[in-house]
Amino acid sequence: TGGHTTEILRLLSCLSESYSPRHYIFADSDKMSEAKIRSFEQKRAETFSNSQFTLDRIPRSREVRQSWASSVVTTLYSMLYSLPLTYKRKPDVILCNGPGTCVPVCIAALLLGLLGIKRAIIVYIESICRVETLSLSGKILYYFSDYFIVQWPELKEKYPKSIYLGRIV
Amino acid sequence: FRFKDSLAQDLCEADLVISHAGAGSCLETLEQGKPLVVVINEKLMNNHQLELAKQLNRDGHVLCCNCSTLVDTLQSMDLSTLKPFPPGRPEKFALFLDKVVGFQ
Repeated sequence: TGGHTTEILRLLSCLSESYSPRHYIFADSDKMSEAKIRSFEQKRAETFSNSQFTLDRIPRSREVRQSWASSVVTTLYSMLYSLPLTYKRKPDVILCNGPGTCVPVCIAALLLGLLGIKRAIIVYIESICRVETLSLSGKILYYFSDYFIVQWPELKEKYPKSIYLGRIV
Repeated sequence: FRFKDSLAQDLCEADLVISHAGAGSCLETLEQGKPLVVVINEKLMNNHQLELAKQLNRDGHVLCCNCSTLVDTLQSMDLSTLKPFPPGRPEKFALFLDKVVGFQ
């Protein structure tokens, strides 16, 4: 969704063209991210001629403040989409920064890894808005990601396994 | 106006910005180097949205107030106390990721 997309595109801005093709996955209810992504990729294509990317939507896994119990159900539903999609894309690296959408994708990637089909490196970057507390996605993926990046020192203290690079967006 | 796709033009022309505590609003304004007064309405907001506004205030980048103290704040504020907000460094992330993935 909006803020998350803006942040992740900033993170991508300095990546080399070795990170290609780029597969974007976002929620079906998201109206604004597609335009932002296309705009970013269009600019990128001006510098890198062979730029490749794809766009995919999966059902939104959780509404703001949705109850824990119903979130499990909606996340499982999203996984019906994220599992075949992740299998199809077989990413080497997954970058995510906190919208509920990232949880079914990462779970799918973890499953594919466990089954020996494809092992992806999962890198989670918590939003710059999170100064003192982690988002729900962050709390879950702190344990399941390979690298967990926070952008404020207080979070680094609370979550010692996290990585602090300063403000990166 | 009610809604625009981008506030960049208005921000560019502004001398002072008074905003709610939304992260996008705060960061966009600070990145354009404009002085910012953040109005916090604790009743309407998610708790976590306050975190960023409070931290920016602690670090001296924004002034904070609530709806009832806004007028006083505007009358008595000293904008010269505000510190510039350095931009984020996505290149640090790129360096980190290159090491992790093995492109060096």
